[in-house]
Amino acid sequence: MRRLLQAELLKILKQSKTYYALGAILLIELLIFITAYYQGSAILDLLLNNLRQSFYFEGTLLNGNLIMYIVLNSLWFNVPLILMIITSGLMTDEYKDGTVQAVMLQAVKKWQFIRAKYITAMVFTVFVIAFMMLSTFALAYTVFGTGDLVVYIGTLNFFESKEAFRRICWAFASGAIAMVFYSVVSITLAVFIKEAAKTWIAAALFLIVTNLLLKADFGLAGLNNVFFPKLIDTWQQLFYYETDWLKIGVNNALLILYIVAFAAVGIFTFQKKDIG
Amino acid sequence: MRLALLLFFLSTQFVQAQKVDADLMRIKQRMDSVKQFSAAVTLNLDVPFIKMPTKRVQIKYVKGKKMAFSSDDFVMLPKRGLDFSLNEIFKHPFITVDRGIEKRDGRNLKVINVIPTDGKSDLVLVTLYMDTKAVRIVQSEVNTRKDGSYTLLMQYAKNADILPDYMEAGFAIERLKIPLNFMGRDTKIDRKKMRSMDTKTGKIKMQLSDYHIAMI
Repeated sequence: MRRLLQAELLKILKQSKTYYALGAILLIELLIFITAYYQGSAILDLLLNNLRQSFYFEGTLLNGNLIMYIVLNSLWFNVPLILMIITSGLMTDEYKDGTVQAVMLQAVKKWQFIRAKYITAMVFTVFVIAFMMLSTFALAYTVFGTGDLVVYIGTLNFFESKEAFRRICWAFASGAIAMVFYSVVSITLAVFIKEAAKTWIAAALFLIVTNLLLKADFGLAGLNNVFFPKLIDTWQQLFYYETDWLKIGVNNALLILYIVAFAAVGIFTFQKKDIG
Repeated sequence: MRLALLLFFLSTQFVQAQKVDADLMRIKQRMDSVKQFSAAVTLNLDVPFIKMPTKRVQIKYVKGKKMAFSSDDFVMLPKRGLDFSLNEIFKHPFITVDRGIEKRDGRNLKVINVIPTDGKSDLVLVTLYMDTKAVRIVQSEVNTRKDGSYTLLMQYAKNADILPDYMEAGFAIERLKIPLNFMGRDTKIDRKKMRSMDTKTGKIKMQLSDYHIAMI
């Protein structure tokens, strides 16, 4: 198992796609930085316009914590799309190059092979989110400094710098679970579809539909609380003024169960399917 | 006849111009004796659609200058209401109208209306509740041309204190107009709730401590 994992990690490290993905994430961060630098004050002015009539403001809200929050918002679409493309490649490349047959000729069990793929995808996803978090922390705080965070979620919520940092760290942790979910789904899709381009389309569709369903009201409270599209934005709940830690914990636990379920479906299908 | 009317009009204006309440003048004189002061202020904002933790800010007042603030955090301070010196009222000519005595918390407060007589003044009408024994203002209701209306409530630790240890500014505030691209993805727009929140009353509660007052 360890050898399989090492081999998979080596493959992901060797392929150029991985570095394109990291480059794309850095580019997204850079664009957010440039936009924030030139337009951040204007956006905040617009946001706080009503308050400006009654109040003097002392201190700045355009700071590293706000940048971190904006970067976190790329977890909605940009980052999962990149992750799904890269991680689905772990399987589709094997089908395309015919290496899956070569591996199966070795003393490797099918379920062990596919399990190593899922674990590699998870490790890679967590690594990407950690990379994203650390690079943004370094850049955001160096360029913009620290300060209070203002977030609009129903109410205008202000968090003091330390509290904002704590919440951002938790949001990255919760967001990482959502990203792992997408990566696992992309491998499962690859097991079914096999072809890279078709898998990417299916993955993008899955991402779009999930995002659309997030806003949909299913009428039943149970479904609204446990259906996976309703769980992927759990990281956002860390920016409510009163944090419901129990709900956040339950949501993340449910999402982990979905991850296990999607992986189980993929492993079972791969085990049963003819690899040819 | 016209001359008589003109003389009558001018004489009423003259009489009105004299009508500046003597107790208000005493309070103003007392406030003018403050050369400068500094204090630590603990701020608590009470607005239905704004959630903000308790903030701390240092304020410094020097006579004839604008109040200066300093804080490590982001703070919001009311634009109006920190005019301890009453300069805003005395900036332009005005008349006062005695509204009698009102009893509040066991104290007799003299109520007067301050009506600016100069169009340049941003104030339209100010109602002051004065503790004439302690020579200080306890409450004011201010109507302005540009910044709407607001109320001020002041509490003092000791009877001899010239500056309050607690202030509460009440104001009307319009609901937030949030640009859509700034809204969180799971932010639901409750139109009914939003309409009911068109204008709300907000309060900012200020606890003042560590005063350093220099008198003339």
